[in-house]
Amino acid sequence: MERLKLATVWLGGCSGCHMSFLDLDEWLFELSEMADLVYSPIADVKDFPHGVDVTLVEGAIANEENLGMAKTVRQRSRVVVSFGDCAVTGNVTAMRNPHGLGLEVLRTVYLVPEPGTQPHIPDDREIVPALLDQVIPLHNVIPVDHFLPGCPPSASRIRDFLKQLLSGTAPNRSAVQIRFG
Amino acid sequence: MKRIIIDPVTRIEGHAKISLFLGEEGTITHARFHVVEFRGFEKFCRGRPFYEMPSLTARVCGICPVSHLLCSAKAGDAILGVRPPVAAVKLRRTMNLGQIIQSHALSFFHLSSPDLLLGFDHDPAQRNVFGLMKSHPDLARGGIRLRQFGQDVIDKLGGRKIHPAWAVPGGVREAASVETCQELRARIPEAQATARSGIELMKHYMDTHSEECKVFGLFPTLYLGLVRPNDHGWEHHDGVLRIMDHTGTVLVDDLEPSRFHEFIGEHVENDSYLKSPYFKPMGYPGGAYRVGPLARLNLCTGFGVPLADAELREFRARAGGVANSAFFYHLARLIEILACTEFLDQHLQDPDLQSPRHRAEAGVNHLEAIGCCEAPRGTLFHHYRVDDNGLLTYVDLIIATGQNNLAMNQTVTQIAQHYITDSRSIPEGFLNRVEHGIRCYDPCLSCSTHAYGQMPLYVELLSPDGTIIDQVRR
Amino acid sequence: MSVVTLTINDRQITARAGETVLDAARETGIPIPTLCHLDGVTEAAACRMCLVKIEGRGRLQASCVTSALEGMVVHTETEAIREYRRMILELLFAEGNHVCSVCVANEHCELQSLAADHGMDHVRYEYMNPKRPVDVTHERFALDHNRCILCSRCIRTCDEIEGAHTWDFAGRGSHARIIADMGQPWGEAESCTSCGKCVQSCPTGALFRKGSTVAEMTKDRERLAELMVARKEKKWSV
Repeated sequence: MERLKLATVWLGGCSGCHMSFLDLDEWLFELSEMADLVYSPIADVKDFPHGVDVTLVEGAIANEENLGMAKTVRQRSRVVVSFGDCAVTGNVTAMRNPHGLGLEVLRTVYLVPEPGTQPHIPDDREIVPALLDQVIPLHNVIPVDHFLPGCPPSASRIRDFLKQLLSGTAPNRSAVQIRFG
Repeated sequence: MKRIIIDPVTRIEGHAKISLFLGEEGTITHARFHVVEFRGFEKFCRGRPFYEMPSLTARVCGICPVSHLLCSAKAGDAILGVRPPVAAVKLRRTMNLGQIIQSHALSFFHLSSPDLLLGFDHDPAQRNVFGLMKSHPDLARGGIRLRQFGQDVIDKLGGRKIHPAWAVPGGVREAASVETCQELRARIPEAQATARSGIELMKHYMDTHSEECKVFGLFPTLYLGLVRPNDHGWEHHDGVLRIMDHTGTVLVDDLEPSRFHEFIGEHVENDSYLKSPYFKPMGYPGGAYRVGPLARLNLCTGFGVPLADAELREFRARAGGVANSAFFYHLARLIEILACTEFLDQHLQDPDLQSPRHRAEAGVNHLEAIGCCEAPRGTLFHHYRVDDNGLLTYVDLIIATGQNNLAMNQTVTQIAQHYITDSRSIPEGFLNRVEHGIRCYDPCLSCSTHAYGQMPLYVELLSPDGTIIDQVRR
Repeated sequence: MSVVTLTINDRQITARAGETVLDAARETGIPIPTLCHLDGVTEAAACRMCLVKIEGRGRLQASCVTSALEGMVVHTETEAIREYRRMILELLFAEGNHVCSVCVANEHCELQSLAADHGMDHVRYEYMNPKRPVDVTHERFALDHNRCILCSRCIRTCDEIEGAHTWDFAGRGSHARIIADMGQPWGEAESCTSCGKCVQSCPTGALFRKGSTVAEMTKDRERLAELMVARKEKKWSV
């Protein structure tokens, strides 16, 4: 059986879903027999590759870079999974939404530290991405193939899901697999 | 100014970039570390009841949720005006030991060791934990199981591995059964053995790689952290603050954590969502200080447990006194894991862990509170203000990683300047070394940049083509 | 007591005359999901989760307020019904700010459980992100409007079981909300007896005991029905 090209990405989240992925513990050895981790924050490839089979996307869309990354992931992956409550619903990351960042283009340039200090105007739009006005779930910006809720989804939930994907069966949508929280 | 951008910095927690600024003839003039994520906890937590905060702030970070959980609970204790029962303190400390073990294990085995064991110049496609599982399976398995052990301590006490809701203002929700304690205790020997083999590995690496020891963040800074009140021994949960300089001279001692602001100011950077705390008497940036395992080992008089203390003596001999090189963070981290296994062994035998009196109850008795503890990465503060009904009116989280910001910037500059002599052609491994400088600090960037709005804001409204439409000052 | 015979999901069942289709179905073990229904208080037919198809009637009917009649033919699990149930739940999630992970009712919430039971693994509608307050002015309890789904169980419980009628609706459409007395902070509502029954009736984490931490708030909803049985029939369950 051909090895699965697996990728993981984190956007506007806390990385708890990735930690839950690592809670697969020694099953990771089995996974590494069946899959190659071709892109991940815990690996060193800097550019998201083409021809990825499955990408797990953690985190909500909170800034312009998240948005760009989501689109790249969709273009270059066969299967995209919303991984964890932040990607599925916005979750805690979206709690800033009711407080409103309502301007069209809002950008915090810098914070004035002390009175009398001369502020400099930075030229760093390429470094610090602009925030989106509202934090949104992943499926609001790209079509998503599967959803794996949880904050984070437990390692056993992740393992069952991956096993089903690897064997080509449609992932189980039972209550215990998809409960939020 | 021309620059090369490393984007993203990998094998750390969170989103970051590094800029290498190019000078004449291909040299690097300096490097900058930028944190590029932000969620705004300090804003959206306002209006929430303070007793939800432990679980809410746990979501600041998926690696160290327990740090926020415990620190927030401590701030909650202060709002209630209660002293948590002895059993609650012991239970919280037990969970924190588990948390330090899993977080440090992740940092060393999963994130940093690929550089050390496979090599900085190794094929990037393999230079990660999966590659390690192929090339060093026993070591990888040991590291994975060590992290699992720490996670299981958290799980068995708190009900889940990541984001347990167990610590609350006033205490904890459940005690630990005798069976749980015995089960966990039985696994300590293996955890200890893994920690010790990691220590041996690191010591051997440092013996044979003196360049890295001298170049990866070796410069004077101050150090800040908690220590035990009387003997100033190693502390991870309570205690008092201590600040020392790079020679070991103690500048501030026995400082109540709630008086933190008297000595620490925060400078705002222009190109990062991360601010830079500094020691006020020495100003910015001379007052730069480091926190975390390196700081804690420098600051403390000792651990109080035999195996870790033996390693600490050797650590200090190796450093020649105070360890001022960020490369020593790895060894400090491993020694802390060892100490935690020794302390856990003691804790898990304590019958107080089974006590039914583990939660004090009260109403809102103080409208302002500061909780402080040592996260794996360094000192953490949660500062809350509430109204009479307990709704938060103000939240300030002062994060470990942020306190290392100045040092991290200096570290990447030092490494970049040392290795990169021709910026027109930089081997990938050199860029990786620059990133490794950051990895030494084991930064937690989701934690570090939750903030906006607690200081005066100068905002520019930019149209899509970059012209300034409006400017607002708050 | 007279009895009627009807068919539910191709199964012949008997029901007491005057019973609702919902009760008749549940008594024979046929599940119909509900949110605004609460044993012990009158029906509101507000949530529409209990919609069923009754042959001969054009529209779907709310089974909680539809009497079981002789010869009725009922279907509870058509594709349309399943789709509507899911839509209702998604709309409820999209309307408020339901952050399950950090909610006091996490793992003990009827909305959360129903969503999981009905295959709701994401919400297809845009979240409204309304700005809603938290009322912690009462000495013992609190109301987080972000989690309120306007089921009115609290209103009916306070009115019918306790008799105080502290809670009621105000506003319309997406501005509708629960208010105490004449729209005062709950702590100033003089009619409130602090009995806590509304808290027990609430299906989500909207009403909770002060000091409850995340995932800690469990409710005892059966107790309310038991109180009504006790009151009316002088029978107490031990």
